[in-house]
Amino acid sequence: MSRNKNVIEVEGRVVECLRSAMFTVELENGHQVLAHISGKIRKNYIKIMLEDRVLVELPPYDLTRGRIVFRYRN
Amino acid sequence: MDTKPCASGLSENAVVITRVADRQWHALHDDLVVGRGHAQYRPDGRLFLSIDSWHDVVFHRLARVMVAELPSPLYTVVDEADVELTARWRRAGFAVGRREWEYAVPTDPRVTGLEAVLPPSGVTIVPAGQADEGLLRDVDRAIRDEVEATVGWWQSMPAEVFPRTEGDTVVDPSKYAVASAAGRYLGLIRVVTPIRPRIGLVAVRAGEQRRGIGRALLAHALVTAHRSGFATAWTEVHESNHAATALFQGVGARPMSSNLELVR
Repeated sequence: MSRNKNVIEVEGRVVECLRSAMFTVELENGHQVLAHISGKIRKNYIKIMLEDRVLVELPPYDLTRGRIVFRYRN
Repeated sequence: MDTKPCASGLSENAVVITRVADRQWHALHDDLVVGRGHAQYRPDGRLFLSIDSWHDVVFHRLARVMVAELPSPLYTVVDEADVELTARWRRAGFAVGRREWEYAVPTDPRVTGLEAVLPPSGVTIVPAGQADEGLLRDVDRAIRDEVEATVGWWQSMPAEVFPRTEGDTVVDPSKYAVASAAGRYLGLIRVVTPIRPRIGLVAVRAGEQRRGIGRALLAHALVTAHRSGFATAWTEVHESNHAATALFQGVGARPMSSNLELVR
């Protein structure tokens, strides 16, 4: 699912909280990416935790990294 | 879905910064959006920035433009553990304004030791949803005025990001439990549970402190969360707030991370 034609956005689940404010997110297709929290989420004090369902934005040139841009309510 | 690869060594001159809306900027490279900047006023009137970009060059181009176009002071929030992002903001001229610890607070009374904690004689705890709204607003206003007149930092307390009417600090009265005595409210605790319980505020009127009212309010809130099936609640404490730090650490709360508020 993508809301912006310039980026890839995929739903996933947080499977590991790492140091350095990074998270391992398992995407719908089973791949795992190393993701950090977007500035907008951090600015609004939205807490990301293990098992949270999130929307991850991937850079088109490196599909192993990601940015969490939305946390779903369940 | 556009998967056109970006050049890994992005040239600063090749990036174009465009203001796309009020307080929103895009960084464009070869017609692709490679970075976004956003500024947002908090209810306390402070202006917070965020920048999302995969490249240092893009981040700094966006930061430079936003800083030039927006009024000072400007703020942002970073996780202290995110060394890379913190360094980017520092390079843009931002410095640490304050540090706030995030605590995981156990709710089980057998862990917190709050099982037998009762409010002082003559004081009762009114559960969330049952407080008189007028009295609640009175005690909230009185406590904020007291803090403002003494340590004076309530305006920089953890940002309350919910939209609200100017001057109204009680967004949802149903989220507050209060300590009451003789028809007067002495203290309050606010807990919101969007997904997991977050203790946003616990405070007691100046003349009623050191009587165990804050501890009784906290015990009530944690037991309520525990009965609702939550093993942990969350809260943030300003590093200079020694009373709150002692209160939470005294019930077994563990610091999990720290947020830095940066200012320029």
